[in-house]
Amino acid sequence: MIRILDRPLLHFGLAAATVLALPLLLRSGTLASEILIYALAVAACNLLLGYTGLLSFGQGIFFGLGSYVAGLLLLRTPLPVPAMLIVALLAGAATAAAVGWLSIRRQGVYFVMLTLAFSQMFYFLAYTFSGLTGGDNGLLDVPRPALAGVPLSDPWSYYAYVAVLFLGLFAALQRVALSTFGRTLLAIRDNEARARAIGFPVRAFKVAAFAISGAVTAVAGALHAMLIGVAPLSNIEYHTSETLLIMTIIGGSANLFASVLGAAAYLVAGDLLSAIWPRWLLLLGLILIVIALFLQRGLWGLIERATALVSRRPVSEDSAPDRPALPAEEPQP
Amino acid sequence: MLHRRAFLTTTSLAAASLAAPGLLRGARAAETALVVGVPLPISGAFAANGKFAAMGAALAAEEAGAALGRKVVTRDIDTEGKPAPAARKVQEAMGEGTRLFAGGILSSEALVMGKEVAKGGGVFFTTAGADEITGQECNRGTFRWSVPTYGAIAQTVRPLIEQMPQAKRWYTITPQYVFGEGLLTAAKAVFQEKGIEHVGNSYHSLAEKEFSGYLTNAIAAKPDVLLILNFGSQSSDTLRQAVSFGLKKRMTIVLAWASGLEQFEALGPDLCEGVYFGAQYWHGVDAPLNKALVAKLRETRKMSPNYSFAASYLLTKLLIDAATKAGTTEGPAMIKALEGLTYAGLTGEEEIRAADHQVIKNYYLLKGKAKSAMADKDDFVDIVGSGKSFLTPEAAGCKMT
Repeated sequence: MIRILDRPLLHFGLAAATVLALPLLLRSGTLASEILIYALAVAACNLLLGYTGLLSFGQGIFFGLGSYVAGLLLLRTPLPVPAMLIVALLAGAATAAAVGWLSIRRQGVYFVMLTLAFSQMFYFLAYTFSGLTGGDNGLLDVPRPALAGVPLSDPWSYYAYVAVLFLGLFAALQRVALSTFGRTLLAIRDNEARARAIGFPVRAFKVAAFAISGAVTAVAGALHAMLIGVAPLSNIEYHTSETLLIMTIIGGSANLFASVLGAAAYLVAGDLLSAIWPRWLLLLGLILIVIALFLQRGLWGLIERATALVSRRPVSEDSAPDRPALPAEEPQP
Repeated sequence: MLHRRAFLTTTSLAAASLAAPGLLRGARAAETALVVGVPLPISGAFAANGKFAAMGAALAAEEAGAALGRKVVTRDIDTEGKPAPAARKVQEAMGEGTRLFAGGILSSEALVMGKEVAKGGGVFFTTAGADEITGQECNRGTFRWSVPTYGAIAQTVRPLIEQMPQAKRWYTITPQYVFGEGLLTAAKAVFQEKGIEHVGNSYHSLAEKEFSGYLTNAIAAKPDVLLILNFGSQSSDTLRQAVSFGLKKRMTIVLAWASGLEQFEALGPDLCEGVYFGAQYWHGVDAPLNKALVAKLRETRKMSPNYSFAASYLLTKLLIDAATKAGTTEGPAMIKALEGLTYAGLTGEEEIRAADHQVIKNYYLLKGKAKSAMADKDDFVDIVGSGKSFLTPEAAGCKMT
């Protein structure tokens, strides 16, 4: 029997509840949209970190790429938004597959260094080809066209659009994580040599994980460019990768909803604290230290502890995701 | 069961919606107050500039409130020095009714905010340096106080060539992005016009901190003048390393785009002595408004206004005055009140050019003085020259939208 907090349906329910709660809790539709957009990118990062055990500093590449695809296509072509998002998704998947294919040839610190190097390389490419990307000024005037006659210019109408995409992609990521493919990723994460010995094509699985993660991250980047009306150079820089990793760690890598928690906590805290205290990033450092030392399952771990206190059940100390339960393992009513 | 669920859902949502406004946001200024949004990098690498700029804006609001007998407040908005948070937070502020904005220190954030504010029917006044702000990317809602790259070069390079006719060989160090290219292009045009030999240029990246290689190249080219075209901490680092390499004794050093007092305080008088600086503002300028500001600050806060403080003070004051004159904060009336306005500014008489919303004001050539010659702790430089040099709106590429 699986614990109630490990049920995938609960995670999706919580994601849906977040979508409904944000308009009630926040005044700003822009901030609410940004939370969902980052939640998508963080969930994609979690697929690599939590499910595959790959600490990648390259996620900013795909986020920035998605932003540029959105900017270029919406500014220079008559392509509608859904078609643009599909192009962003494909571009993200292809680029991530290429970056992943080269990076996974090394493990540990060398893998991390390779993703860092790619991150810097793509940043300087974007910086150098300013005719295409706008260079340090970014691609300005990215429009937010109407969708089937419905204008998206109002922050809350755009939020509704982002929310639908968020739930769709979140469900898709969950499906991936719960599939045989996802369970194999967990096996690779736990013991790569054993997975290879059993006969799994480990490299292909890792590249596929990269591609899926890159595709979703690129869609998030495209939505972000439409949200703020610009595809800034900062979206493709190393700092974006770092921010996505920090959000993943704050939320916890135990499941995909933890990523939603991480994104929401980071953005809301930043929004509140930056206006009060200029050095609020110091607090962020402290929070990360506390999480690294005492709360390795992140904010999701806090929820688990609170639930355990109530139900008097032990909490797992493993920071990585538990093996997702198959539907067959669900308790019968 | 269904009824109970429905009841729980409804009551939970109702309770959350009632509690929500107070949960995440503090109460904003009263509806009757005149609010000026001040989007600045309050956190991050440019937080020091943001802090002084926020103080300057607050002083302008305080003075206006006392003079007008109504509540005038500034609303600090932390852009974190990045375009993405800047755009989002300005959108939020506009959603909550703010229409006037004075800020944007960095070009990338200012360009984005100008677009957002114009789209929402507000007015954005900035000090950011990118030529595009009142050039190719100009728009009806955006105004800019600082002199663009063309004027900065015209008021630093041109007078120095005239003062030092024997200095025929110039070397440049340029940051390789839009701002640096703008300064370099303007400098090359002046060199060509005046028959100056441009003996070399070193490009460096946005993230560069180590300039010794570029300085070695400069020494090898044996120039009479080293023209440094980067800004902020990069120009400070370049100057520090140039002085430690002994370049000050071998050639004249010019920083075309200095930050003024903040930068001189960080460098110290020994490094500044004998170096030429181009600057948008200096507290020693002989203009009535500037003198009044300097006197007030020295009396009340025991400090001299630096560029961030003074510029933000003036922008906020201009927006408040225009809103008072227009009787509204809405874009069209504000734009009408600001376009073509001539006023006694911090650099003397200043004018807001209607065609591109560029303020026509002086740019200054300063020269660092010896520590022994400083009259007080802030008296780092002498004003060597000043003047107004601007491209026409057409030449700058502005097609007002």
